[in-house]
Amino acid sequence: MKHNFIDRYANLDSPLHLLEARTKLLAFTALILAVLWIPAGNDFAFFAYFFLTAILMGISQIPLMYIVGRTLVILPFIVLSSLAAPWKGIAGLSVLFLRAILCLMLLIILTNTTRFVELLRGLRKLGCPHILVLNLSFLYRYLFVLTEEVLRMRQARDCRRVCRGPMRGELKLLGSMLGTLLIRSFERAERMYQAMLSRGYSGEFQVLAPRKFTWRDLAFLAGVAFVIFVTFWSGQIVKVWTRVLA
Amino acid sequence: MHIPDGFLTNRIAVSLDAVSAAGILYSAGRVKLEDAGRKVPMMGVLAAFVFAAQMLNFPILGGTSGHLIGGALLAILLGPMAAFLTMATVVIAQALFLQDGGLIAVGANIFNIGAVTTFGGYAVFRLLGGARNTGRIPAVAGFFAGWVSLLLSAATCALQMALSGTIPLRVGLTAMVGYHAIIGIVEGGLTAGVLTFLARVRPDLMDSNAKTRLGVADWIGALVLVALPCAILALAGGSELPDPLEKLLSIDHAAEQIVDPQKLTSAGRFGGYFVRSVLFVVLIGVAYLASRLARWKRSRS
Amino acid sequence: MSEYAVRITRLNYTYPDGTKALEAIDLDVRTGARMALVGPSGAGKSTLLLHLNGVLTGNGTVRILGQALDPKNLREIRRQVGVVFQDPNDQLFCPTVYEDVAFGPLNLSVPEEEIPRRVERALRDVGLDQSIRNRPSHHLSLGERKRVAIATVLSMEPAILALDEPTSNLDPRNRRHLIELIAALPATLLIATHDLEFVLALCSRTVLMDRGKIWADGETNSLLRDSALMEAHGLEVPLSLRGCK
Repeated sequence: MKHNFIDRYANLDSPLHLLEARTKLLAFTALILAVLWIPAGNDFAFFAYFFLTAILMGISQIPLMYIVGRTLVILPFIVLSSLAAPWKGIAGLSVLFLRAILCLMLLIILTNTTRFVELLRGLRKLGCPHILVLNLSFLYRYLFVLTEEVLRMRQARDCRRVCRGPMRGELKLLGSMLGTLLIRSFERAERMYQAMLSRGYSGEFQVLAPRKFTWRDLAFLAGVAFVIFVTFWSGQIVKVWTRVLA
Repeated sequence: MHIPDGFLTNRIAVSLDAVSAAGILYSAGRVKLEDAGRKVPMMGVLAAFVFAAQMLNFPILGGTSGHLIGGALLAILLGPMAAFLTMATVVIAQALFLQDGGLIAVGANIFNIGAVTTFGGYAVFRLLGGARNTGRIPAVAGFFAGWVSLLLSAATCALQMALSGTIPLRVGLTAMVGYHAIIGIVEGGLTAGVLTFLARVRPDLMDSNAKTRLGVADWIGALVLVALPCAILALAGGSELPDPLEKLLSIDHAAEQIVDPQKLTSAGRFGGYFVRSVLFVVLIGVAYLASRLARWKRSRS
Repeated sequence: MSEYAVRITRLNYTYPDGTKALEAIDLDVRTGARMALVGPSGAGKSTLLLHLNGVLTGNGTVRILGQALDPKNLREIRRQVGVVFQDPNDQLFCPTVYEDVAFGPLNLSVPEEEIPRRVERALRDVGLDQSIRNRPSHHLSLGERKRVAIATVLSMEPAILALDEPTSNLDPRNRRHLIELIAALPATLLIATHDLEFVLALCSRTVLMDRGKIWADGETNSLLRDSALMEAHGLEVPLSLRGCK
C-alpha cells in the first residue's frame, strides 16, 4: 500500500493544475451534476460531455492508462446491475454506464489535478466545517505513517508464523494486530499532535505556494458554465432545429 | 458498497447529500473546537486507521473477499457522534483518494457507511448491555453490533438502489444483505476481538465511552436523521413528479421522427447507429489527443 | 539578548491520570550553554522538554529568553524553541521531506520566497544532500530520518534546541556524524539522553533527573564520575571515565 495512490499526478504541470482548488471543485461538481441530469435519449448532451471530458483529460496530462484503469473499477457494479435488471435493455443500461463512467472520469481529473492539501483549503473556503477538514488533513498525514506500521507488523507476524492456521486463529491474530495498531494509533496521535504544535501548528491550513484566483479560473468557470448552459438547452435547440428542417 | 455516481436517481442522491451535510454540521457543532485540539488528531488518526483497515481484504469462502467497515467499533469507542464524523471523513477521503463512491453519491455513502453503521451498531451494543457490563458481555454485544451494523447498512443501500430503479428490491436485498451477512461475521468477530483486546491491555480507552453517552436530544436528533431520508425516499423516489430540468433536457422524440423517415430498414438503422458510434469514438479520440499533445503555456516555475 | 535562555522555577506537573511527573524543578540555563539531561527511563526528561515550548503546562514558571510562557506568546516561543522528539516518525508526516522541513516556517508565516532558502540551509546543516527534498520520508533510513527531523526544527531558526535522545538507535557512523553536526550548531542546547559518552563529548554541564526531581546539577566530568550517584539513579559511570583516569 504505497502512499502515492493519493493525488499521484497532482504535481504535474498543466493548465488544469494551475487553477485554484475552489474553481475546480465548483466546476467539476457542476459538470457531474449536469451529467447526472441528462435523461436517456439526449445523445447530443452525452456527446458534448464526453467531448469536454476528453479535452479535459488531455489537458490534464494524466496518463490515459491510469484513468482507464481507475474507471474499470466500476465494472463490477455495472455487471451486477445489468444482471439484476435485464429488462432495462441496452438503452437503459448504456445510460447508466455512460453516466457512471463520465462522472468517474470527471472525479478522477478533479482529484488528480489538485494537491490534496489545496483541495482541503478549497473546501474550507467553500464553507466546509473546520473539523471535517482538519480530520481529513490528519487522515492524509497519518496515512503515510500508518502504512509503514502496517508493513512492519505484517513482517513481524510473518517472522513468527510457521504456517497459516485455521480461520478462527487467523481472525484472532488479525484482531490483536488491529487492536495493537489501534492503541499505537492513539498514542502516536498524541505525539504527532505535540510535534505539530511544537512546529507552530495552530489549526490553520498553510499551503506551500498556494494557487491564486486568476483570469484563468474565471475563464474556466465561464467555459464550463457555457457548456452546461448549451447542453441544458440542447433539447429545445434540437426541437427547434428539426422543426426548421421539416 | 460504495455507490458510484449514476446509480441513484438525482432526487435520492441529492436529498441524501442534504441529510448527510446536516448530520455533519450537527455533529461538528457538538465537538466543540476547543476540545477539538486534542480530539481532532485522535479522530483523524482513527480515520486513517479505518481507511487503511478498509483496504485490507480478507478472503472468505469461494474466492470472494470481504473487508472491514469499522463503524460499530468506532461508535463503541468514541461514541456515535464522533464516530459518525470520523466515518464521514473516511468516506469522503475514499471518494477523493480512490474514487471509491461518487461525488454526488457521497451523501448516500456517508449515510450508509457512516451513519447507519455507527448509530445502528451503537444502539445494538447498548441494547445488549455492552456498556454496563464487564466480562464476556461487551464482546458478545460488540459482535452483534458489528454484524447488525453491516446488515442495516446493506439494507439501506439496497433500498436506495431499488427506489432508484437500478436494482430491484428483492434482488438487491438478497444479494447485498446476504453478502454482508457473511462478511458481517468477520466484522462482528473483529469488533469483539478488538474490544476484548483493548479491555485487557488499555481499559482506560474503553471507559471513554461513558463520557460520550448520548443525551436524549441526541437520540431524537438521530431518529429524525434516520426518519427524514426514509420519508424522502418514500415520497420522492417513487413519485411521478416531473423534474423541470429533465423536461428541458429531453429531446422531443416526435420531432425526431420527422427527420428520420420510417423508410429506414432495421439494417439501415443499425448501420446508422454503427456509423454514429464510430464517429463518436473518433471525435472523442481526436479531442483527447489534440488536447494532450497541444503545447499549453507552462507556469513560470 | 537575555543572559538566561531558560529559567524554570518550581515547576510541577502531574499527568491526567494522576501520576506525578515533575516535582519542584528549578533550572536555569545560560544562553549558548550546552546542557545534558540524564537519568533513567521514566525520569521525566521528555516531559520537562515539552514544557519548554508550552506543549505541556504545569504549575510553576517557565521563562524562555526572558518571557514567561503565556497563550499569547506561544507562537513566538515556539519559533525560538525547537524540540526534536525521540522518534522521528512522530515528526515526519508530510508527503515529502521538503514539505516536512517547510512545515515549521510555513506555520510561522515566513514569507514564501524565504522558505526554499531555509529548507536548503536546514538540510545542509544536517549534512543531507538536497536531492533528498522530494523523497517521501518513509523511503529514508533511520539515520536519515533522524537528521530530517532535526532539519524540520532547524528551518525555524530557533535560539534554543531541545533534543530528546538524538543518538538512540543510530549505528556508530551515523552517531558520530550526528554528534559532529550538533556540535556545530550555534543554538543553546538542552539534550536529554542515555548516551553518556555523547554527553562527555559535547556538554559542559549535566543535570541528573530521577522520578521527576533533579538530584544533581553540575560540571559534566565530576558528575558522571560519581559512581555512587550514578548507580543510585540507574545509571553507570561511562566507560571512558572508568579505570586509571
